[in-house]
Amino acid sequence: MNEVQIIARNNVKVLGTGERTLMLAHGFGCDQSMWKYILPAFEPHYRIVLFDYVGSGHSDLSAYTSERYGSLRGYVQDVLDIMEALELQDVTFIGHSVSSMIGMLASIERPEYFAELIMIGPSARYLNDEGYVGGFEKSDVTELLDMMELNFAGWAGFLAPIAMKNPEMPSLSQALERSFISTDPVITREFAEVTFFSDCREELPKAKVPILIMQCSDDSIVPISAGEYLHAHLRDSSFRLMEAKGHYPHISHPEETISLIQSYLNT
Amino acid sequence: MDVRLNYAPCGYVSITHEGIVADVNQTFLDMMGYRQEDVVQKHFETLMSTANKLMFHSYFYPYINLDGHVEELLIRLKNSRGESVPFILNGRKSEREGREWLDCVLVQVGKRIDYEMELRLANKQIEKAYWEKDQALAELQHIYAEIERKQTELMEINTVLLELSNTDKLTGLKNRRFFQEKLEEELKLYSQTGIPFSLFMLDIDHFKRVNDTWGHAYGDEVLFDVASVLQTHAREGDIVARYGGEEFVMLLSRTKASEAKVCADRIRRAVSDFSWKEDGVTISIGIMTATDALEDNEATLLEQADQALYASKENGRNRVTHYEDLKLQGSPHS
Repeated sequence: MNEVQIIARNNVKVLGTGERTLMLAHGFGCDQSMWKYILPAFEPHYRIVLFDYVGSGHSDLSAYTSERYGSLRGYVQDVLDIMEALELQDVTFIGHSVSSMIGMLASIERPEYFAELIMIGPSARYLNDEGYVGGFEKSDVTELLDMMELNFAGWAGFLAPIAMKNPEMPSLSQALERSFISTDPVITREFAEVTFFSDCREELPKAKVPILIMQCSDDSIVPISAGEYLHAHLRDSSFRLMEAKGHYPHISHPEETISLIQSYLNT
Repeated sequence: MDVRLNYAPCGYVSITHEGIVADVNQTFLDMMGYRQEDVVQKHFETLMSTANKLMFHSYFYPYINLDGHVEELLIRLKNSRGESVPFILNGRKSEREGREWLDCVLVQVGKRIDYEMELRLANKQIEKAYWEKDQALAELQHIYAEIERKQTELMEINTVLLELSNTDKLTGLKNRRFFQEKLEEELKLYSQTGIPFSLFMLDIDHFKRVNDTWGHAYGDEVLFDVASVLQTHAREGDIVARYGGEEFVMLLSRTKASEAKVCADRIRRAVSDFSWKEDGVTISIGIMTATDALEDNEATLLEQADQALYASKENGRNRVTHYEDLKLQGSPHS
């Protein structure tokens, strides 16, 4: 697969100008539009790489296979493919939620691509385990998968309008709406399973690049203990507890999110 | 709050950008068994189970912020007794007094969710049935392919067996059985077309003496070498077979008497000219050509060729005799 194909497959967008490169990676259930409130602060000073994982947003759904994306490894490869295609180096990788771990795994594999990692609401494991609080019981995940399934028709309803606002690709919206009803529920369900059943705890000591952990003070998905666990087991990490609540500080509290990232980038 | 909104036939909850419940109507409180202070100024997610919090944060919250509205989100909220109550939620982002609000309308889904669950179950069963059908089909296709493979294998084995059953082990020539089949075919063709064909009976001269003098191993070698010479000098399409013992037969389709005689003599000479290890070896040949469709049958043809062969032996061996010539000479055996 060549650069052009990878850029199309992952709907890669490169914005802004600057010597340093920020790569922004969305989490489960989202796409690159999630970054829109914090982008204006960084666009004038950095080169910014946005993308959608295969199966999300405007990615090429036909590139999705359960073999490749049946574990976080497939998503890690998406990140590495894009970095290779764009010949990126010394990237500041900003990952939200499950993307924090995807970025970390990618940095373990190809450290030369990465300068540092910024993790927003990361978790090494979502399920509780002996002596570990991830915040979820298995029954919670099962309930979530059920709720998602009952909401699948709804997704098509409120995701399609985003596509309709895409003036350069008007024909896309219809195809997208259809695919959200048919294909996407399966993909999204698999992404949910991969995410919530993942366990990266053993990988943590292998991470070599500096890492900033941004933890919401009252994160509804990741308990503070999960953030603290990461901080304790990563070699070179800083831990910042945010005033923000919820799991999407880059949407709910963009100012605080921006200023934390900026101060980390400037030190 | 407006009285009509307060008692509207649906729940109404207004939350801040950060997700804190700012206002709630009486209908919602009545449905859930809460008082104002149980809900207001609390985060909306306090009413949700872990899974529903995740739904709320992964879908409702980002999309209402990006898109300005969310429609028909199915979400379950806990009532004052801790029971999970399903709602259809419509939300819209709006600005009042310079601030951003997320206004939500909630309609309880009672029986409808049961229907939906039933539909989903039925759907799953259909999916399962389809899956099983596909599996069964794949299995059938697999079996079919296996049968085809076996059949090809059998046919190949059959071809080999047929070849073996038609072959004389010692000389590698066709055997008597094969020759007889071909003779029948040739006769049938002849009865339809009337095109003459010829038949040779060939016998190694003094073969008993070869065996007695040089042993059976050498005898076998002679049989093999004669067979090779016959095969080499036969024309394309001629059938050469071992008839039994030191006797051979040849079947020459579309061959009349004069051609047959030339051909037989060439073969006779080839055998006597062969560089034999020990004493020279010769053969005698008797020919019969089928010329009368009404009279000729297998037995008579073979019998007549055999008579011609006998005449060759009688007349000194290492020679060719055609049955027709025998009749003209008035042989004592005809």
